[in-house]
Amino acid sequence: MAHPVYLDNAATTPLDPRVLEAMLPHLGGRRGNPSSLHALGASAREAVEEARGSVAALVGASAEEIVFTSGGTEADDLGVLGLARSAPAEKRHVVVSRVEHAAVREAARRLEAEGFEVTPIEVDEDGLVDPADLADALRPETALAAVVWANNEVGTIEPVRELARICAERDVPFHTDAVQAAGRVPLDVGEVPASTLALSAHKLYGPQGVGALYVRKGVPVEPISYGGGQEGGLRSGTHNVAGIVGFGVAARLAREELDERVAHESGLRDAILAGVARIPDVRLNGHPERRLSNNVHLTVEGVEAESLVLFLDALGYAIGSGSACSSGEHKASPVLLAMGRDEREAFSVVRVTVGKENTAAEVEDFLEAFSEAVARLRELSPLYN
Amino acid sequence: MPETYNPRVIEHLVRPRNVGELPEPSGRGESGDSACGDVVCFTVGIRSNVVEEVRYQAYGCAACVAAGSALAGMVEGRHLLEAARVSKAKLEEALGGALPVGKEHALTLVLDALHKAFEDHLNRGTGEMLVEGYGGSGREGGGGVVAAMSGGVDSAVTALLLKEAGYEVAAVTFRLHDGERGSRSCCSPDTVLFARDTAHRMGLPHFTLNLKELFHRRVMQDFVGSYEEGRTPNPCVACNAHVKFHAAAVLADELGFRHVATGHYARVAEGPTLARPVDERKDQTYVLWPVPKELLARTLFPLGEYRKTEVRAIAQERGLAVAYTPESQDICFIPDGDYRRFVRKRVVAEPGDVVDREGAVLGRHAGVVDFTVGQRRGIGLSAPTPLYVTEVRPGTGQVVVGKKKDLEVREVRVGGMNWFLAPEEASSVQVRYNGSPVPCTVEEDEGGGWVARLEEPVVGVAPGQSAVFYAGDGERVVGGGVVRHRFAQGNAPGG
Repeated sequence: MAHPVYLDNAATTPLDPRVLEAMLPHLGGRRGNPSSLHALGASAREAVEEARGSVAALVGASAEEIVFTSGGTEADDLGVLGLARSAPAEKRHVVVSRVEHAAVREAARRLEAEGFEVTPIEVDEDGLVDPADLADALRPETALAAVVWANNEVGTIEPVRELARICAERDVPFHTDAVQAAGRVPLDVGEVPASTLALSAHKLYGPQGVGALYVRKGVPVEPISYGGGQEGGLRSGTHNVAGIVGFGVAARLAREELDERVAHESGLRDAILAGVARIPDVRLNGHPERRLSNNVHLTVEGVEAESLVLFLDALGYAIGSGSACSSGEHKASPVLLAMGRDEREAFSVVRVTVGKENTAAEVEDFLEAFSEAVARLRELSPLYN
Repeated sequence: MPETYNPRVIEHLVRPRNVGELPEPSGRGESGDSACGDVVCFTVGIRSNVVEEVRYQAYGCAACVAAGSALAGMVEGRHLLEAARVSKAKLEEALGGALPVGKEHALTLVLDALHKAFEDHLNRGTGEMLVEGYGGSGREGGGGVVAAMSGGVDSAVTALLLKEAGYEVAAVTFRLHDGERGSRSCCSPDTVLFARDTAHRMGLPHFTLNLKELFHRRVMQDFVGSYEEGRTPNPCVACNAHVKFHAAAVLADELGFRHVATGHYARVAEGPTLARPVDERKDQTYVLWPVPKELLARTLFPLGEYRKTEVRAIAQERGLAVAYTPESQDICFIPDGDYRRFVRKRVVAEPGDVVDREGAVLGRHAGVVDFTVGQRRGIGLSAPTPLYVTEVRPGTGQVVVGKKKDLEVREVRVGGMNWFLAPEEASSVQVRYNGSPVPCTVEEDEGGGWVARLEEPVVGVAPGQSAVFYAGDGERVVGGGVVRHRFAQGNAPGG
């Protein structure tokens, strides 16, 4: 298939041509290191600083509060590990929701290995955190709390405004992973008093390999890498100038085009939802209203996810699978398990995520292919009658 | 190994063949578990040992769906012996080469489901015989051999030697109980999968038979019952008497094969009878005495001509993975070796008295099932000289203890005989697995039993154990039976 219909935008988005155009001068020709004193260095520095301003504007921050990283995972790691490790010695407790991205989940596990106590916050059947549960979990010795802005699998949008305010009142640093939310939900750190917030460029039509951590002014964060002291000492290493420039343009476009993108995406999303509703025994996971504009997460009874994804791939449609099968054993997603689903169901989930490039015609064709693939695999399935 | 599927897998995924379920299959097999994310189910229609129809269903990753489709295509219309020979390697080849990392289990899973369908077919066709025991059809089949394969080195080399000697060999693994190591809810136990893999690597067809019911009745229940009755069981003897050889013969007849073979260290001599093997330290004639004569007549024991060290060397030389498997120990259905606990979980143990031979009460015990004749440990009494269990009396709940001298016997009464040769040929008797034969004379006893009069006293003759008689040459087995109860020297008969 020369041009598969791409419906896996939560995994990564296509690069916006306007972003590519802005990046090209920094990839070819003569280039400088932003840390150099000469003119080439200065010009690179200016490009980075312009991008910093655009990224800051996306979240309502000021430029000096943005730390560029290698991507969302590094931003999450820096936020979680950095906040915890800079906390006073007696604060050895962290609170983390059950529906975090692996970057936050594994960073918390790392803290556990370092002697921190980790309290998980449960979610309801839609994957939603109850602010009261967060409030209950906080203690005087809590070093940080982390809750994702919008979940990357099921697309549920968490009540981060309330969560961040509870933490602020109790003087507990709050980290939120906004990688999926950025470009789909208005982000404003003035409204949501998070201490740190993670972003990734390639989820909003920017390049892969670049992200950022917002760090509220005055919040101490311990670095996790050491070297030349770039990014205020929080992220040493020569800047990915082309990537950062691309991120800046992508962030600016995401802010400018937010309303129009959300309207477009939610239209396509709702068309998919209406289409799959006609197939028996297909259920939507995640919150029905409080969900990302691009996300459709489905349980398809009697059909195993990998075979469905690859079947559709053969038909020319790229979607995401909800579970990962590795080393001969399927691994059920912790997010679905946290939502009270059993392991069996966790093997039968797929994620369809639309983007600004998708069209209504594509969605219509997809629905036809999807329903055929499901029917064929169910014919084959010993678990579906 | 690649990271992604090759196009042949995707082709099978999108256009799978032989999908569905036969309405009236002759066998059905399922492997996997929805909790592991993969389930495969095969139905087969086998007539005259030809796999006429195959249908499959799969819930699982693309590898599972594709492997099922490819496998169904490979076995449809083939003779059962050919179908049971399809290996993981052949299947992978049919799928266009190596599967991505972590997906190889799909091959194991679909083969397991198909083989379970074959097993179901064979079990259905021979069910009654496999439950009641079987003496063989007496048909003079072709030159083939059914070789019992446990997953260990001995049985693997047995099959290999037979193959190299020019026999047509089919390997069979018996499902005997649920306590196999590596047992899971989804696939067959590791021992079965390992045996199948070993057979397939040698290019042999592999079969399984479900003998759990038969084994439970004739071996496990007998094992527990023996303790209740104050006897010392020998489960390997019970298995050879009623299970293993019979089942192998059932399959041989089904396949039109003449012979059966096992990896025992023994030889078949003229008579037919059993004879000691080349490796006297591995001699298993003692546990083989109950094999019926008509089955022994069609049995091959290739390892009787080899030493264990040679067997391991052969396995290593031929690159068999089993070359390095540990020696199997003790009782197969009690992998942890704690047979007291095994028995106690299955019987109600009543406390009783520990008495001396005059009947004086010396102490209490927690149940007769904890004791066998000759036992020294666990009596729970201190005495100036070590105490031994000399008798177990389930009727009165008494455990009789005495000195080692009290265990000596000069006469052994034996019942349930299996004579291969004329009883007069018996000139010595062995009463323990690791014991040495003791010169004796044997004569018929009242009540259909036999009595062996020993030339020298022996200790540790426990009711329930086997007594095996050897001929004057010390090589050939004359016959065997079960020790009934003993006459201790100068004592009144017990129990």
